[in-house]
Amino acid sequence: MNPTEHTLWVVAIIVGFVVVLAVAALLSLLIYLIKVIDKRVAAIGGTLTAAKANTASTVLIPQVADGVDAVLAEGLQHHLFLGRVVETVKSS
Amino acid sequence: MTVLVVLTVLVIVALIAGLAFYLYWAGTLLDRIGANLEGAADIVRGIVADAKLIGPGVEHINQTGGVVAGALPLLYGMAEQIVAGVTPAPPAPEVPEPARPASGTRRSRLLHAVGYAPAELSRIGLPAASRGQRAPGLLTSLTVR
Repeated sequence: MNPTEHTLWVVAIIVGFVVVLAVAALLSLLIYLIKVIDKRVAAIGGTLTAAKANTASTVLIPQVADGVDAVLAEGLQHHLFLGRVVETVKSS
Repeated sequence: MTVLVVLTVLVIVALIAGLAFYLYWAGTLLDRIGANLEGAADIVRGIVADAKLIGPGVEHINQTGGVVAGALPLLYGMAEQIVAGVTPAPPAPEVPEPARPASGTRRSRLLHAVGYAPAELSRIGLPAASRGQRAPGLLTSLTVR
Protein backbone atom coordinates (compact mmCIF):
# COMPACT_ATOMS: atom_id res chain seq x y z
CA MET A 1 0.00 0.00 0.00
CA ASN A 2 1.48 3.27 -0.99
CA PRO A 3 1.30 6.34 1.31
CA THR A 4 -1.40 8.01 -0.76
CA GLU A 5 -3.72 5.03 -0.41
CA HIS A 6 -2.97 4.87 3.29
CA THR A 7 -3.78 8.53 3.70
CA LEU A 8 -7.00 8.18 1.75
CA TRP A 9 -8.03 5.20 3.84
CA VAL A 10 -7.39 7.11 7.05
CA VAL A 11 -9.33 10.04 5.73
CA ALA A 12 -12.18 7.73 4.76
CA ILE A 13 -12.21 6.22 8.24
CA ILE A 14 -12.31 9.69 9.82
CA VAL A 15 -15.11 10.74 7.49
CA GLY A 16 -16.92 7.52 8.41
CA PHE A 17 -16.74 8.33 12.12
CA VAL A 18 -17.97 11.85 11.42
CA VAL A 19 -20.85 10.43 9.43
CA VAL A 20 -21.69 8.03 12.27
CA LEU A 21 -21.71 10.92 14.72
CA ALA A 22 -23.83 13.05 12.39
CA VAL A 23 -26.31 10.20 11.90
CA ALA A 24 -26.47 9.70 15.66
CA ALA A 25 -27.11 13.41 16.18
CA LEU A 26 -29.83 13.54 13.53
CA LEU A 27 -31.50 10.40 14.84
CA SER A 28 -31.35 11.85 18.37
CA LEU A 29 -33.13 14.93 17.06
CA LEU A 30 -35.68 12.67 15.38
CA ILE A 31 -36.24 10.79 18.65
CA TYR A 32 -36.69 14.10 20.49
CA LEU A 33 -39.28 15.30 18.00
CA ILE A 34 -41.10 11.98 18.13
CA LYS A 35 -41.22 12.23 21.93
CA VAL A 36 -42.73 15.71 21.61
CA ILE A 37 -45.36 14.31 19.24
CA ASP A 38 -46.03 11.47 21.66
CA LYS A 39 -46.60 13.89 24.55
CA ARG A 40 -48.92 16.08 22.50
CA VAL A 41 -50.90 13.11 21.22
CA ALA A 42 -51.31 11.97 24.82
CA ALA A 43 -52.54 15.48 25.74
CA ILE A 44 -54.99 15.41 22.83
CA GLY A 45 -56.23 12.05 24.02
CA GLY A 46 -56.84 13.47 27.48
CA THR A 47 -58.71 16.45 26.06
CA LEU A 48 -60.84 14.23 23.86
CA THR A 49 -61.63 11.99 26.82
CA ALA A 50 -62.84 15.02 28.76
CA ALA A 51 -64.89 16.18 25.77
CA LYS A 52 -66.41 12.71 25.47
CA ALA A 53 -67.40 12.87 29.13
CA ASN A 54 -69.04 16.24 28.51
CA THR A 55 -70.98 15.10 25.47
CA ALA A 56 -72.06 11.83 27.06
CA SER A 57 -75.05 13.63 28.58
CA THR A 58 -76.47 14.49 25.20
CA VAL A 59 -78.36 11.19 25.24
CA LEU A 60 -80.67 12.97 27.69
CA ILE A 61 -81.77 15.47 25.04
CA PRO A 62 -84.20 13.08 23.29
CA GLN A 63 -85.57 12.13 26.70
CA VAL A 64 -86.12 15.83 27.47
CA ALA A 65 -87.82 16.23 24.10
CA ASP A 66 -90.14 13.35 24.97
CA GLY A 67 -90.85 15.00 28.32
CA VAL A 68 -91.74 18.27 26.62
CA ASP A 69 -94.02 16.34 24.28
CA ALA A 70 -95.72 14.86 27.34
CA VAL A 71 -96.16 18.37 28.75
CA LEU A 72 -97.74 19.45 25.48
CA ALA A 73 -100.08 16.45 25.48
CA GLU A 74 -101.09 17.20 29.07
CA GLY A 75 -101.63 20.84 28.13
CA LEU A 76 -103.92 19.77 25.31
CA GLN A 77 -105.93 17.72 27.81
CA HIS A 78 -106.17 20.81 30.01
CA HIS A 79 -107.28 22.82 27.01
CA LEU A 80 -110.06 20.37 26.23
CA PHE A 81 -111.15 20.24 29.87
CA LEU A 82 -111.16 24.00 30.30
CA GLY A 83 -113.03 24.40 27.03
CA ARG A 84 -115.79 22.09 28.24
CA VAL A 85 -115.97 23.85 31.61
CA VAL A 86 -116.09 27.30 30.01
CA GLU A 87 -119.01 26.27 27.80
CA THR A 88 -120.79 24.78 30.80
CA VAL A 89 -120.26 27.92 32.85
CA LYS A 90 -121.40 30.18 30.02
CA SER A 91 -124.51 28.12 29.36
CA SER A 92 -125.53 27.95 33.05
CA MET B 1 -2.88 -2.23 7.68
CA THR B 2 -4.58 -4.35 10.32
CA VAL B 3 -5.42 -1.27 12.33
CA LEU B 4 -7.03 0.35 9.34
CA VAL B 5 -9.10 -2.72 8.63
CA VAL B 6 -10.23 -2.93 12.22
CA LEU B 7 -11.12 0.75 12.27
CA THR B 8 -13.02 0.38 9.03
CA VAL B 9 -14.98 -2.55 10.34
CA LEU B 10 -15.60 -0.63 13.57
CA VAL B 11 -17.00 2.35 11.66
CA ILE B 12 -19.30 0.16 9.62
CA VAL B 13 -20.49 -1.75 12.67
CA ALA B 14 -21.03 1.50 14.59
CA LEU B 15 -23.07 2.92 11.74
CA ILE B 16 -25.22 -0.18 11.42
CA ALA B 17 -25.64 -0.56 15.17
CA GLY B 18 -26.47 3.12 15.62
CA LEU B 19 -29.02 3.01 12.83
CA ALA B 20 -30.57 -0.17 14.21
CA PHE B 21 -30.76 1.18 17.75
CA TYR B 22 -32.23 4.56 16.84
CA LEU B 23 -34.64 3.16 14.29
CA TYR B 24 -35.89 0.57 16.75
CA TRP B 25 -36.37 3.33 19.33
CA ALA B 26 -38.18 5.54 16.83
CA GLY B 27 -40.30 2.61 15.71
CA THR B 28 -41.36 1.88 19.29
CA LEU B 29 -42.33 5.50 19.88
CA LEU B 30 -44.21 5.74 16.59
CA ASP B 31 -46.07 2.54 17.38
CA ARG B 32 -47.20 4.00 20.70
CA ILE B 33 -48.22 7.24 18.97
CA GLY B 34 -50.24 5.22 16.47
CA ALA B 35 -52.02 3.39 19.25
CA ASN B 36 -52.80 6.69 20.96
CA LEU B 37 -54.10 8.20 17.74
CA GLU B 38 -56.28 5.16 17.14
CA GLY B 39 -57.79 5.58 20.60
CA ALA B 40 -58.29 9.28 19.92
CA ALA B 41 -60.05 8.44 16.66
CA ASP B 42 -62.45 6.16 18.55
CA ILE B 43 -63.12 8.94 21.06
CA VAL B 44 -63.76 11.41 18.24
CA ARG B 45 -66.25 9.00 16.67
CA GLY B 46 -68.03 8.76 20.01
CA ILE B 47 -68.13 12.54 20.32
CA VAL B 48 -69.57 12.83 16.82
CA ALA B 49 -72.21 10.23 17.68
CA ASP B 50 -73.12 12.20 20.81
CA ALA B 51 -73.17 15.50 18.95
CA LYS B 52 -75.53 14.14 16.32
CA LEU B 53 -78.24 13.98 18.99
CA ILE B 54 -77.96 17.65 19.87
CA GLY B 55 -79.34 19.30 16.76
CA PRO B 56 -82.59 17.36 16.20
CA GLY B 57 -83.24 17.13 19.94
CA VAL B 58 -82.87 20.84 20.56
CA GLU B 59 -84.94 21.63 17.49
CA HIS B 60 -87.67 19.29 18.74
CA ILE B 61 -87.60 20.86 22.19
CA ASN B 62 -87.73 24.36 20.74
CA GLN B 63 -90.68 23.53 18.53
CA THR B 64 -92.69 21.80 21.25
CA GLY B 65 -91.75 24.40 23.85
CA GLY B 66 -92.92 27.15 21.49
CA VAL B 67 -96.29 25.46 21.12
CA VAL B 68 -96.59 25.08 24.90
CA ALA B 69 -95.61 28.69 25.51
CA GLY B 70 -98.12 29.87 22.93
CA ALA B 71 -100.93 27.79 24.42
CA LEU B 72 -100.45 28.85 28.04
CA PRO B 73 -102.11 32.32 27.65
CA LEU B 74 -105.11 30.60 26.09
CA LEU B 75 -105.33 28.21 29.02
CA TYR B 76 -105.19 30.81 31.72
CA GLY B 77 -107.57 33.03 29.74
CA MET B 78 -110.09 30.21 29.81
CA ALA B 79 -109.41 29.69 33.51
CA GLU B 80 -110.12 33.37 34.13
CA GLN B 81 -113.40 33.08 32.24
CA ILE B 82 -114.37 30.12 34.41
CA VAL B 83 -113.49 31.95 37.60
CA ALA B 84 -115.42 35.02 36.50
CA GLY B 85 -118.39 32.86 35.55
CA VAL B 86 -118.70 30.87 38.76
CA THR B 87 -117.96 33.65 41.26
CA PRO B 88 -121.31 34.80 42.64
CA ALA B 89 -121.92 38.52 42.25
CA PRO B 90 -122.85 40.30 45.47
CA PRO B 91 -126.53 41.22 45.53
CA ALA B 92 -127.33 44.85 45.08
CA PRO B 93 -128.45 46.45 48.34
CA GLU B 94 -132.03 47.58 48.72
CA VAL B 95 -130.99 50.99 49.91
CA PRO B 96 -127.89 52.33 48.18
CA GLU B 97 -125.04 53.10 50.46
CA PRO B 98 -124.36 56.76 51.05
CA ALA B 99 -121.62 58.25 48.98
CA ARG B 100 -118.29 58.20 50.68
CA PRO B 101 -115.27 60.14 49.65
CA ALA B 102 -113.04 58.12 47.46
CA SER B 103 -109.66 57.37 48.86
CA GLY B 104 -108.06 57.01 45.47
CA THR B 105 -108.32 58.78 42.17
CA ARG B 106 -111.64 60.56 41.82
CA ARG B 107 -113.96 59.37 39.11
CA SER B 108 -115.28 61.95 36.70
CA ARG B 109 -118.98 62.61 37.10
CA LEU B 110 -119.36 64.63 33.97
CA LEU B 111 -120.79 61.70 32.05
CA HIS B 112 -123.25 60.97 34.82
CA ALA B 113 -124.37 64.53 34.74
CA VAL B 114 -125.53 64.17 31.18
CA GLY B 115 -127.08 60.76 31.80
CA TYR B 116 -124.49 58.67 30.02
CA ALA B 117 -122.51 55.83 31.53
CA PRO B 118 -120.28 53.34 29.70
CA ALA B 119 -121.11 49.66 29.77
CA GLU B 120 -118.76 48.87 32.61
CA LEU B 121 -120.75 51.06 34.98
CA SER B 122 -123.61 48.62 34.69
CA ARG B 123 -121.59 46.14 36.73
CA ILE B 124 -121.61 48.26 39.83
CA GLY B 125 -125.38 48.45 40.00
CA LEU B 126 -126.10 52.05 39.09
CA PRO B 127 -129.73 52.93 38.33
CA ALA B 128 -130.91 52.65 34.77
CA ALA B 129 -131.21 56.39 34.42
CA SER B 130 -127.52 56.82 34.96
CA ARG B 131 -126.57 53.87 32.70
CA GLY B 132 -126.94 55.78 29.50
CA GLN B 133 -130.68 55.66 29.16
CA ARG B 134 -131.99 59.10 28.92
CA ALA B 135 -134.99 58.69 31.16
CA PRO B 136 -137.54 61.46 31.31
CA GLY B 137 -137.14 61.75 35.04
CA LEU B 138 -133.44 62.08 34.96
CA LEU B 139 -133.22 65.50 36.43
CA THR B 140 -135.73 64.57 39.08
CA SER B 141 -133.82 61.50 40.11
CA LEU B 142 -130.60 63.43 40.25
CA THR B 143 -132.24 66.09 42.32
CA VAL B 144 -133.67 63.56 44.71
CA ARG B 145 -130.34 61.86 45.16
